[in-house]
Amino acid sequence: MTLIKDPEKNETKKLHKAVDFAGKRVLEIGCGDGRLTWRYASASLSTIGLDPDKDSLRIAAIDHPSDLDDKIHFVNAEAEHIPFNKETFDIAILAWSL
Amino acid sequence: MVHALSEIRRVLVQKGILIDLRPMSEERRVEVFSTRETREIGDATVLPRELDDNVAANQAMTTAKSNGWFTRESEEFFPIHYVWDSPKEMEEWIETEWEDFIEIDEEIKQAARSAWALGDGDTRVRVKVNMLITRWIKKDRSLNEY
Repeated sequence: MTLIKDPEKNETKKLHKAVDFAGKRVLEIGCGDGRLTWRYASASLSTIGLDPDKDSLRIAAIDHPSDLDDKIHFVNAEAEHIPFNKETFDIAILAWSL
Repeated sequence: MVHALSEIRRVLVQKGILIDLRPMSEERRVEVFSTRETREIGDATVLPRELDDNVAANQAMTTAKSNGWFTRESEEFFPIHYVWDSPKEMEEWIETEWEDFIEIDEEIKQAARSAWALGDGDTRVRVKVNMLITRWIKKDRSLNEY
């Protein structure tokens, strides 16, 4: 079964229009398998993908582009208990997760 | 959800940005399309869980705003498409992945199959989803936080 999601890349365009990722520390809540993460992470200083689903994170870890090795980390956690100190991130993204 | 927003606020720097990106639940339009033409077939039925999730999300953001945690800077609606090669693939995907959120009436399924079968060689099927992206800014600490 072949599904193409957002072939026009509208989501990516609107995300980059809404915020400038350059030099920013980003937290994505509900990153899932990283589908959205790959679309902006290269522009960021660093990106943390947070998701409660271990299976999705496993896929994200396997599928992530190799050039993002140093920029992306995935964390298995709930949004209600974010395991980071206060004022750690410049940008937070709720990706289909509120 | 409100607790999650409180946590997000905690880990954001002052004036940090929160992007809320999510689908709106008012419609999921089924279209059959090719490079030559697009035919709107009809709307899928949005199920109560999808509607409830959207109401809850809106209420959480309203609470966060009224608590003085975030200020809304901008918002924009835009469409995205989910595209399949055939109506059968679309139906199977919706029945497994979106089973809790939408369903497609038999009449619309039949209309999509017919339009697809009679279409050009590059005819495919898609569901249009309306999205909302909102940019929020973390407000300065209130006095009682010091």
